[in-house]
Amino acid sequence: MNAHTPVLEAQAIAVTFGGLKAVDGISFTLKAGEIVGLIGPNGAGKTTLFNALVGLQRLTSGQVLLGGDKVSGLKPHRVAGKGMTKTFQNAALFPDMSVLENVLTAALLRHDLASARERAGAVLHRLGLGAIAQTDVADLTFPQKALVEMARALATEPKVLLLDEVMAALTPSEMDEVMAVIRSLRDEGLTFLVVEHHMRAIMALCDRLLVVNFGRLIAQGTPAEVANDPVVIEAYLGQGAAHGAATGAATGSTTVAGGAHA
Amino acid sequence: MRAKLTPGLVLLLLFFVAAALLPFYVDPRGHVLRIAAMALLFAALAQSWNIVGGLANQVSLGHAAFFGIGAYTSSLLYLRLGISPWLGLVAGAALAGLAAALLSLPTFRLKGHYFALATLAFAEVMRVIANSWASLTGGPVGVSIPFVGSQPLNFAFRAVSSYYWIILGLLALVCLVFGLLARGAIGYRLRAVRENEAAAEVAGVDTFRVKLTASVISAALTAVCGSVFAQFTFFFDPDSIFSLAGVSVRMAMIAIVGGLGTLAGPIIGALFLIPLEETANAFLSSKAAGLSQLVFGAILIAAILIQPRGIMAYWPKRWSRRAPSPAAPRAEPALAKGGQ
Repeated sequence: MNAHTPVLEAQAIAVTFGGLKAVDGISFTLKAGEIVGLIGPNGAGKTTLFNALVGLQRLTSGQVLLGGDKVSGLKPHRVAGKGMTKTFQNAALFPDMSVLENVLTAALLRHDLASARERAGAVLHRLGLGAIAQTDVADLTFPQKALVEMARALATEPKVLLLDEVMAALTPSEMDEVMAVIRSLRDEGLTFLVVEHHMRAIMALCDRLLVVNFGRLIAQGTPAEVANDPVVIEAYLGQGAAHGAATGAATGSTTVAGGAHA
Repeated sequence: MRAKLTPGLVLLLLFFVAAALLPFYVDPRGHVLRIAAMALLFAALAQSWNIVGGLANQVSLGHAAFFGIGAYTSSLLYLRLGISPWLGLVAGAALAGLAAALLSLPTFRLKGHYFALATLAFAEVMRVIANSWASLTGGPVGVSIPFVGSQPLNFAFRAVSSYYWIILGLLALVCLVFGLLARGAIGYRLRAVRENEAAAEVAGVDTFRVKLTASVISAALTAVCGSVFAQFTFFFDPDSIFSLAGVSVRMAMIAIVGGLGTLAGPIIGALFLIPLEETANAFLSSKAAGLSQLVFGAILIAAILIQPRGIMAYWPKRWSRRAPSPAAPRAEPALAKGGQ
């Protein structure tokens, strides 16, 4: 891979369900070692976009390039083989398996059974989950499940990892720990695209943000740029609210506004 | 692979030893040994079914198709061309594996009930073909294997015990294959497919290939059981060999009642259900037509309602084998190397 080639390139990708344009011509690139946040109101198309990138959702049009190779149209396991995978928003673990077995299964992508076991143990250790390796996933707390999701994704040894709300149920200190792990993985060359509703985490973690609404990319830039973009504020607060917020008029949506700026 | 001797494995080995000794303690030509042989054959069938039904949760109601393919292939090769059923059963296994592969192309996109119905339809199609293509199969009259006395090379014996031991060996083989699959890499992948197919794909599991592999192996083993069944019973016809209730559903029921996806489940299920069915027949069939099936059916329903996870659910979980923990990793391993 050429140093100037973006590690991930989405070219005008669109996903249509019946008449609904869930993803409507989104283009963006990720450079190696970036942590990029994907934000937008509920129903904006974030999870559909993730599914489209990893091959779970067929594209209506457009294409996805990973390290310069076309991956759109491939099945998810091929995309994982080429180095991109995702976590599931509502922890889609294999419920009848232990934590270790969940992660081990993913490690089998690049290793035989014996060394997959070693790799899985290493990944769990790295995420601080070594103590619960033998636990049934059914017995885990929600935050633990989210972390095991992340461990399983990491066990495929991706170049690009898409994280769908892994920090949703974490306490602030747990969140700091996970962010430290993400940063250290980034320092080893991994690239992240992150969906997260915790604005504090997004602002602290991401180098760059992509903002989507109604399936379209409406803004992108550094966290500071995006936070002050009137288009973004309007997307979160509704029509006219940006103006209203700017003039200090009461909108009744202070919690949402607080969320967007916290 | 290191096979650790768990309590379950010890019990399983004891079962095989006890089963091997049984012909010395019962009438070698008698009814009891025939029922025992049939119970073992159905245990082997249920274990073959368990590879797809239990490990991958692809509930097939059409495995009679592969059973019949095995029976017809070995019998017709023997009767028409004089080829030993020992070779015929290999040919039957290959043919059934091929049929399973072809069937999987359209059916693997189907989930749950739709998959079950598609497989059921496939077995029905095979039954209709066997009935109507009389020039090849002999049609509704069925196939009779002539009694030729003792010809071991042609899979013909005088004593029931010889068939019994062959069937026991077949059960051991099918259990070994199941155990190797369940504990190997493909076992993890099959369980992942069973529990969340989308997540399995995203975690790098080629779900189609894994299911295909399991289906082909399962179908081939089922066909071997069919060939052995034909030699053992000397006679079968299209309606009995491709029977939905008598073969397809029975295989599934035995595995489900015993414990889906477990190694011992099909054996326990067969040892429980086949003698039960025989007893019901012996005591009730003279009382009223269909009464024995009714009672057997009621017991099945009760068993499923009382314990949907099967008899194996009562097995202490701490005795089960889990993936052992790896050694503590060295310092900080680099995770993010990726596929360069």
